[in-house]
Amino acid sequence: MIWNTIDFICREAALHLRRERLIAIATISTVAVLILVLGSMVLFLINLRIWTQRFGEELEVSAYFERDFPRDEAEEITDRVAKWQDVQSAKFVPKEESWEWLKSNMASGATLSDLDNPLPDRISVRAKVPEQLAAIAGELQEIEGIEDVVPSAEDAGDQGGFIHRVVQAKRIVTWSGVFIACLVILAGVFIVHNTIRLALHSRWREIYIMQLIGATRAVIAAPFLLEGMVHGSLGAALAACVILPLHMYLRALSAKSAPFMTLAPDTILIPFGIGILASGAILGLTGSAVSVRRYLRRNPGWHG
Amino acid sequence: MPASVELRNVDVTYPNGVTAISHIDLTVEQGDFAFLVGPTGHGKSTILKLLYCDIMPTKGQALVAGWDTAKLSPNRVARLRRRLGVIFQDFRLLERTAWENVAFALHATGNSYREVLRRVPEALAEVGLLDKADDFPSQLSAGEQQSLAIARVLAIRPALILADEPTGNLDPESSSHILQLLTRANEEGATILCATHDPSIVNAMRRRVIAMRDGRIIRDSSEGTYPDDLEHD
Repeated sequence: MIWNTIDFICREAALHLRRERLIAIATISTVAVLILVLGSMVLFLINLRIWTQRFGEELEVSAYFERDFPRDEAEEITDRVAKWQDVQSAKFVPKEESWEWLKSNMASGATLSDLDNPLPDRISVRAKVPEQLAAIAGELQEIEGIEDVVPSAEDAGDQGGFIHRVVQAKRIVTWSGVFIACLVILAGVFIVHNTIRLALHSRWREIYIMQLIGATRAVIAAPFLLEGMVHGSLGAALAACVILPLHMYLRALSAKSAPFMTLAPDTILIPFGIGILASGAILGLTGSAVSVRRYLRRNPGWHG
Repeated sequence: MPASVELRNVDVTYPNGVTAISHIDLTVEQGDFAFLVGPTGHGKSTILKLLYCDIMPTKGQALVAGWDTAKLSPNRVARLRRRLGVIFQDFRLLERTAWENVAFALHATGNSYREVLRRVPEALAEVGLLDKADDFPSQLSAGEQQSLAIARVLAIRPALILADEPTGNLDPESSSHILQLLTRANEEGATILCATHDPSIVNAMRRRVIAMRDGRIIRDSSEGTYPDDLEHD
């Protein structure tokens, strides 16, 4: 019996989608535009998060030891620094490693190979939050055996301040995005709600006959819920067909022209696409559920 | 076995304050064929609405197949209605083919496709519309539309058929055909309660006649005719 009922519900929904094609097209395209706005905003926020995270991660303080400072003591200091509360990581970099890196990364590397290594051992320190960088640099400068800290506490403060401002801007943009997303979702629910409301009123006779012959509320409501879900999902699928290829194209473009601002990797597009489809379906389902619930409350099939 | 229909001292007052029926005591046994007669607006349709749970009694008890309608949950109302068939004067058909109109009722109540394929032609053949299975209601005469409404009811095989002025919009020939269909359904075991103000069909049938005036039952005769004192109201 359950399969017969499901089959009936699907057929009824399909029949009405075919019959009310124009209304369906109008709703699907409007939902598509809304999901397009919503999806673009979410993608922008994802990328913004990646960029700010990357800026933060790339900021580090290097503390250079005095040239003849004992290496075992330097390593001990490194272990101590790594345990500081605001430090995310502290790595001891021996002067040989620094020298090799310098030789292989400098255009004049070939000539450097003839020279003696002029570099000291150092600690490379990353902060948990960029704003702490200046304080860490200051504390490193106080340690005996450390000759120089780059950037200095003052410069690190400037860099941390910049990052702090970026993080604050990101926060404002994120909350604005969330607010706009809520408005867009509400608009989508409202549009589907109105379409399904029209459908309910144009099909009052069918609903009444179903009520008279003993169809349950679930059977009466289900074709309308399914219709709403189809409207939402198709709208979302259309939006996904625009957003996903566009993001892939922009990512390829940014990788070439602005490598420091590369967009989120294509692998996130699969869960993102599924998310878009799911949000379309949920939006459609919510809109139609609101209409059906209100309609059946006003027209329960009896008058108390 | 409970009576098909039992009303115990029932009053119905509509929200606008109008009392449609009062002090109604009525029992219709399983397998009965009864006419509910009286002038328009004197409570016949209200009694039928009570029985298919469209309205609830303001006072008293309405029992259908032993179920107290006032105590039913929405899902119970749906279950009760699956045992009923309701026929209206204005047919209440869908703008779908004759086949689809009958099939819709069967599908909506969870019948399998095999069952629908078996019962739809049976019901259409029973009312003489099998050759018009693909016609839309607008392509059928008024009599045929009412026959189709009856086919929809017969397909569900209800234990109780409630007919509200089923011949109200029909010519005498079509009316006679509709009554034949109802009689056949009654012979096959369905209880029939038919509200009408048409004396000719009541007098032709000689069945139980329950006469109403001003929302009260004024006469109940087992093989009656249409009361003379109501004919000119």
